[in-house]
Amino acid sequence: MKRTLKNLFGSVVVIMTSVVLFSFVAPQDQKAGEPWVIPANYKSMVNPQKGKGDPDNVGKLLYAKHCKSCHGSIGAGDGPKAGSLDTKIKSFKDGKFQAQSDGEIYFQSFVDRDMKSFEKKIPAAEDRWAIVNYIRTLK
Amino acid sequence: MKKNTLFIILLFLISTVSFAQDVAVDSTGVKEKDKPVRSPFESGYLIGAQTTVIQNVNTLEAVIQHTFGTIQNGHSDLWGIYAPGANIRLGLDYVLFKNFQLGVGITKKNMMSDMNAKWTIFQQTRKNTFPVAIALYGNVAIDGRNISAFESGQVRVGTHQQLYNSFKFPDRLSYFSELIIGRKFADWLSLQAGVSFTHYNSVGVLYDHDKVGVHFNGRIKVSPQGSIIFNYDAPLKIKEISEQLEWTNHPKPNLAFGYEISTSTHAFQIYMGTADGLMPQDNIMWNQNDYTKHELFIGFNITRLWGF
Repeated sequence: MKRTLKNLFGSVVVIMTSVVLFSFVAPQDQKAGEPWVIPANYKSMVNPQKGKGDPDNVGKLLYAKHCKSCHGSIGAGDGPKAGSLDTKIKSFKDGKFQAQSDGEIYFQSFVDRDMKSFEKKIPAAEDRWAIVNYIRTLK
Repeated sequence: MKKNTLFIILLFLISTVSFAQDVAVDSTGVKEKDKPVRSPFESGYLIGAQTTVIQNVNTLEAVIQHTFGTIQNGHSDLWGIYAPGANIRLGLDYVLFKNFQLGVGITKKNMMSDMNAKWTIFQQTRKNTFPVAIALYGNVAIDGRNISAFESGQVRVGTHQQLYNSFKFPDRLSYFSELIIGRKFADWLSLQAGVSFTHYNSVGVLYDHDKVGVHFNGRIKVSPQGSIIFNYDAPLKIKEISEQLEWTNHPKPNLAFGYEISTSTHAFQIYMGTADGLMPQDNIMWNQNDYTKHELFIGFNITRLWGF
């Protein structure tokens, strides 16, 4: 009985030590995303909703529903779900991000990588452009 | 009389189809397509009711509906959370075609299994070319309990032998159909009204087989993701379809208030209401809970969408 308990205690110590040591080896930080490869047609794409205004706050409301949980309420990339993603989210306030064309932001928001599911979730193109316009206000 | 009523309803539907145009003319005389209003409700479910909302084609909506026990005992059973009598429904609805979905569900109370369909005939449009949304919802539910459960109570009354001799599968079936008319009045306010017909194939001698109900529900949006929601279902006393001489067992109306939080793929609704049935026919036919006696239940719905 004494021997069994000793073995059991030994096993627990080995497992716990392994877990602690492994935690130093396992990656703790989110990785930075790979650079986006944006097709030329998206780079030069014209935003059909540009300058039309958004009196019904469509962009803001859709951003709150679909984007806020990861990108944060002011677009800083600090939403409650941001920490659980593999890739670190860049801030919409970043000058480099805002320097991109509307078409480039559209491509990254709805067309490629993990974001492409949002093209289905937000089926109307004008609603997707309304979100791009709202992201533009988060400078 | 019945035939005439059906004819009038059919005529109304056909005439609305004929007059419904989805083209609006703007102030400069240019014709443009009038699009449906954006999300009058966040989900196909609103507490225990259905909304006129049907998700995009090839979307699967899973729902968990739950009510706890009655709050009557206060803190001793944590307002019903520890109490017996909790009910749960698990459902799956799939959008086969634009504005048409089919669904299945299982409910703990009375071991109900249901199949349902919803068709949003018209969507409200942004420029009021069509000012309301109109939807039809129908289900058939199977009471899956052992035959012995039908010997007494609400569903069927009879002696043991009589019951076993005559009981057939159709005796387990109940039906609910509803016409829903809804309007998004503003971004913050959407309201719906409905009229329903409920039929149970087999009920006890003191009960009616048929009930007509009216429904009123809506949401008041208080933040981009949060809304106050409510639902009211009232079974009507219509002598012409009643089999009883007096209204001794007439079901009580269901009144519920709650709060909804929605995200991209989820809607979470927590509420307090008087009906513990999660099938609409159950609430219209059998609800005897009275909110003035604190016969209220805490409940919640969680919906999740998957697009294919």
